[in-house]
Amino acid sequence: MDNLLSLQGKHILVTGASSGMGKVFAQMAAAQGARVSLLARNEERLKVTLESLEGEGHDFCTCDLTEDDQLTDIVNKIDQLDGIVLCAGINDFVPVKFIKQEKISKMFQTNYFSQLILVQKLLKKKLINKGASIVFISSISSMLGVQGTLLYASSKGAINSAVRVLASELANQRIRVNAICPGIVKTEMLSGTNVDEDVFTKQEALYPLGLGTPKDVGGAVLFHLSDASRWLTGQCMIMDGGFTLN
Amino acid sequence: MEIKDFIDNFASNFDETDTDSFTPETKFRDLDEWTSMLALATMAMVSEEYDVELTAEEMRNAQTIEDLFNTTKSHL
Repeated sequence: MDNLLSLQGKHILVTGASSGMGKVFAQMAAAQGARVSLLARNEERLKVTLESLEGEGHDFCTCDLTEDDQLTDIVNKIDQLDGIVLCAGINDFVPVKFIKQEKISKMFQTNYFSQLILVQKLLKKKLINKGASIVFISSISSMLGVQGTLLYASSKGAINSAVRVLASELANQRIRVNAICPGIVKTEMLSGTNVDEDVFTKQEALYPLGLGTPKDVGGAVLFHLSDASRWLTGQCMIMDGGFTLN
Repeated sequence: MEIKDFIDNFASNFDETDTDSFTPETKFRDLDEWTSMLALATMAMVSEEYDVELTAEEMRNAQTIEDLFNTTKSHL
C-alpha cells in the first residue's frame, strides 16, 4: 500500500519559516520527502533553517509579507506548489481600552491581510497545482474569549471564516483549504510576548496532555499536506491537548 | 515626568479600588483588584503615555508604583 503520508514529489511553501512552528514544519515536510521553499523576513535565520532541512532542492526567499511589492516579487520567483503552510504571525496582548487603529492594522496586516494576498497572487498566477493543500495556522484563541486577546483572536477568527470560503471557491480545482487551531504551543513567539511566561506555564495544569510543542502541531500539518487528507476541506481543526474538554 | 502624574495614570486603570490612597510606596500586587489584566493595562498605559514598552520581566520585578515609575523613567 502507498504511504499516504509521504510528501515525496511535492513542493511546499512555508511562511514564517525562520523560527518557531514554521521552522519545525519545514523540517518535518522535508523529512517526508517534500521540496520546501521557505519565506520569512530574517535572512540569517532562514539560512539556518535551510541548512537543517533533509534532502535537496530546498530554497528560501526573504520577504516582508506585509509589503505588497515584495509579495509580488516572491510570486514572480516561485514555481508550482502542491502545498502552502501559512505560519507567519504576531501576537500582542492588549486590553480593549488600549486598542488603537494602528494596533488593529498591524495585527491584521500580518496575521490576515498579507496571508490572503499571498494566496490570491499565487492563485492568479496559477501557481497552485490541482490537488494542492493550503494550511492556515489559526489558534484556539479564535474560539475562546481570553482576556487581552481581542486583536489576535479576531485576526485568527477572520482566518477561520476565510478558510471556509476559500475551500468552497477552490474545490473545483481540488485545492483543499483548512486551518489548524492549536492551544498553547511552546515557541519563541510565546516567550517574546508582553505576557509573563509564568502565565502560560500555569496554564499547563488545564491541558490534560500538557502544553503543545511545534512538532505536535507539525504532525497535523503533515497530514493536511499529504494525500491522506484528500477528502478534507474547509475545516478548522482544534488541537489543544484536551484543553477545551474542561 | 512627575511621580504624581504617573500615579494618576496608574490609578486610572482601576475601577473598584480607592485610588486616592495610592502613594509611591503602594504595593500594587497586594491590591484585591490587581490581576494579570491590570498588568497588561498598566503596560499599555505606560506605552501610551510615555512611549515606553515595558517588558514582562520589568513588570514582574516591580513591586511598588515607584518601582514602575523608575523603570519607566530609565527608558526615557
